[in-house]
Amino acid sequence: MSFRYVGKPIPRVDAREKATGAARYMTDLAFPGMLWAKVKRSDYPHALIKGIDVSKARTWPGVVAVLTWPDVPGYNGFGIVVPDQPVLCRDRVRFLGDAIALVAAQTEEAATKAAELITVEYEPLPVLEDPRAALKPGAVQIHAGGNTHQHNLVTQGDVEKGFGEADLIIENYYVTPRQMHAFLETEGGVATADPDGGITVYAGSQHSYRDQLQIARALDLNPRLIRVVSNPTGGGFGGKDEIVVQIHLALLAHHTRRPVKLWLSREESVRAGIKRHREFLYYRTGVKKDGILVANEVKIFADTGAYATLGGPVVSLSVGHACGPYRIPHVRLESFCVYTNNGISGAFRGFGVNQVTFAMETQMDILAHQLGMDPLELRLKNALRQGDLNPLGFRMDTSVGAIPSLTAVGGSELWKNRWAKKAEATLPWKRRGVGIATALQGNGLGAGRPDYGGALLRLLPGGTYEVGISCPEIGQGNTTAYAQMAAETLECSIERIRVYTGDTRKAVDSGSTSASRSVYTGGNSILAGAPTLKERLRKAAAGLLGLPEDDLEFFPEGLRGKSTSRSATLEEVAREMDRLGLSREVKSTFLWPAAEREIEGAPGLPEIIYAYNTQIALVEVDTLTGQTRVLEVVSVPETGRVINPQGLEGQADGGAVMGMGYALMEDIIMEGGYYKNTNFSTYILPTALDAPGHVTVMVEESEATGPFGAKGVGEVVCVPVTPAITNAIYDAVGVRVTKIPVTAEEAYRALADNSLLPHGGTTPHV
Amino acid sequence: MNLVEVEFTLNGERQKVIVPPRTTLLEVIREHLGLTGTKKGCGKGECGACTVLLDGEAVLACLTLISQAEGHAVTTIEGLAKGEQLDPLQEAFIEEGAIQCGYCTPGMILSAKALLRKNPSPTQEEIKTAIAGNLCRCTGYVKIIKAVQKAGRRSAEVAAHD
Repeated sequence: MSFRYVGKPIPRVDAREKATGAARYMTDLAFPGMLWAKVKRSDYPHALIKGIDVSKARTWPGVVAVLTWPDVPGYNGFGIVVPDQPVLCRDRVRFLGDAIALVAAQTEEAATKAAELITVEYEPLPVLEDPRAALKPGAVQIHAGGNTHQHNLVTQGDVEKGFGEADLIIENYYVTPRQMHAFLETEGGVATADPDGGITVYAGSQHSYRDQLQIARALDLNPRLIRVVSNPTGGGFGGKDEIVVQIHLALLAHHTRRPVKLWLSREESVRAGIKRHREFLYYRTGVKKDGILVANEVKIFADTGAYATLGGPVVSLSVGHACGPYRIPHVRLESFCVYTNNGISGAFRGFGVNQVTFAMETQMDILAHQLGMDPLELRLKNALRQGDLNPLGFRMDTSVGAIPSLTAVGGSELWKNRWAKKAEATLPWKRRGVGIATALQGNGLGAGRPDYGGALLRLLPGGTYEVGISCPEIGQGNTTAYAQMAAETLECSIERIRVYTGDTRKAVDSGSTSASRSVYTGGNSILAGAPTLKERLRKAAAGLLGLPEDDLEFFPEGLRGKSTSRSATLEEVAREMDRLGLSREVKSTFLWPAAEREIEGAPGLPEIIYAYNTQIALVEVDTLTGQTRVLEVVSVPETGRVINPQGLEGQADGGAVMGMGYALMEDIIMEGGYYKNTNFSTYILPTALDAPGHVTVMVEESEATGPFGAKGVGEVVCVPVTPAITNAIYDAVGVRVTKIPVTAEEAYRALADNSLLPHGGTTPHV
Repeated sequence: MNLVEVEFTLNGERQKVIVPPRTTLLEVIREHLGLTGTKKGCGKGECGACTVLLDGEAVLACLTLISQAEGHAVTTIEGLAKGEQLDPLQEAFIEEGAIQCGYCTPGMILSAKALLRKNPSPTQEEIKTAIAGNLCRCTGYVKIIKAVQKAGRRSAEVAAHD
């Protein structure tokens, strides 16, 4: 089937306004009489609050309002799954980002000064910084329910019997870092008090309607009185899925009835914002000598920080993806999602899959070496096929792209020429290597969760369509994909489509921009609503043109007779619909397919639909310094039919570099509950000079349930590249990386410990 | 309060502001003059989002005190297009898909503009060096580098044609 827009590299519909500086982000907004807000946050990672004194702040010149916990009219808490994080703390703080008071003042300077004048009396409590220590008997309890937020245990087959059948068993321990999203626009925005008593909150976000709900709950207001606008958002990656500033903004506007701006500094964003879960992973994997996997035992300890947010679902996905895209008959998969007094961990692109993929794909690489088998062949031998039972005992009924992706990577220039590429090292002390890894990534929210979408489709009198789907545009390009799919479905010119996302007034609730779900959800919502609207257009046009309805066809600017030259423009059809009393608006709903029941021992599992990706990396390790440079990466995402190849490449390019940062440099380091690196001088992000050459090879296995066959791409593109790089480091220098990030210092130490330094190898004093 | 009076041109128009001396060029552009195309990502010269041109050179507006702009010409992203006619860099960024969330885009384009002004046909390494101070979390830089190369070629063609 050929399409006019779907599958074409249509330039982004929002590119021009972003290229000219015309796009107004929520932190760019200003209103007359606007106040500036600051948050007084905790001074301790864990303490009881004995007293809060805001008297000096209240009288500071320019201060309009100082709010503390009694000023929260409704429920003093938020959190996507369990609302256990206080809006404003009353008697206890559990991490340094906890908010205690809010100040609004005439100027930012006055608000800052006043916030500094707030004094809090504390009684410090012991600080828990390691999830394993937090589980020990006698450990201080961070929440009333204990320190275990969620425990998962999934068993299939008989894992000990499986190990009994194995010819080779390897056992390793892995550690992954607390990666930060590092969106360029920090959390912030403006709230205004509306004349009807309501509040409008303009703040970057990944789920406008859930923000509306959480704000309404805290303010004790009807959600209909809360409007949330979050488009465009300057990057999200999962870090704007949860509330950070929105309730504080609304609360201040509610109390002052004036516009209020709150915009976190980079340091405050690090302190209060969400991170990726640091995980400690124990893996024991058994294989037959022909390379067939027979058993996998995994135990995960995840540091979820002080509050729940999406920690439970994230760690469920760690369990669900712990075995990679492979058939393994005997498994025991256990996880502990544990509260600590560290920064909060929650949603982050990959959502628990990055950690286990690093571990599992390293296991696979070790097995391949020990078996003397080609690492690609080992993966192909075990890869899931459609109809297989996966290791959790769930049948993979939807499209499975593991083998197509692996096969395509095997045909890439880099893989075929890897021996020659390795020999091209520029200097005698530099060593090159090539590594491979593969992954799958569940799409959607999983079993037992409300996973729905909807689209508002409206033909305007001027002959353009409004398409309102609430999943916010956080940069991934869903707006453009929606325009393409709407133009394709409504059979009109794409210039006639206006897409609205991230606005509770202009778009139907379609859930979050997360879980690789926005294109799939929005596309299916368009497909669900368009036929009804088109029927009405057809009816109006038939009367207008004096032709039977089945003799009409759509053309880019309207409808026309199939066998006559008579035509009506969309403007004319809209007018006729009004005359006939036919509504020009349709609101559709769409429900995700979901498993009938959850997998025992793992809430939310399984997802039904999965995207796949294989990545290979060519690295060069400087054995004098330990520095690794990633020279080339090839990505082969299998994400169903591609709606926009340019968009897919962009996602894959960016995902590869984000996964590279995870492998080599990124970690928010905490000691005793305090952040050690709170800015971009100390939290090192990949720059243009670090970025490898990157090639995307598309493999399209059409997904029957997807809009035009599409699945979600946003997350899987950043996942396997991390172990592809660390496996390449092993290939280059023979050092096995089990803890990331493998910085130059870490690599140098490992080279020294293994006597692999070019000058014979003594560890220097550091 | 101690105030300074500073005159400079912004996107070709004369501006005069009277502000406390510690005010940065970024604050003046965004807060006082309301041009929000110039972004703030860190406020400390670590991310490049606030890059503007000062007499054609890329500078970080968050680290530039307003007095340093006295008598100089400041160009922000809003001043790059000539009416509806976009700068070749803006066109190339749109065509190549070099924009995702777009928050780094203005600073990225202006760093590239400063490069192309001096070096219309930069190598890939020269482009990477020129934009090394501009962080982007979405694109992996791949399409940005391609866009700068394309804009360079196009500018050279236009120049040859003139």
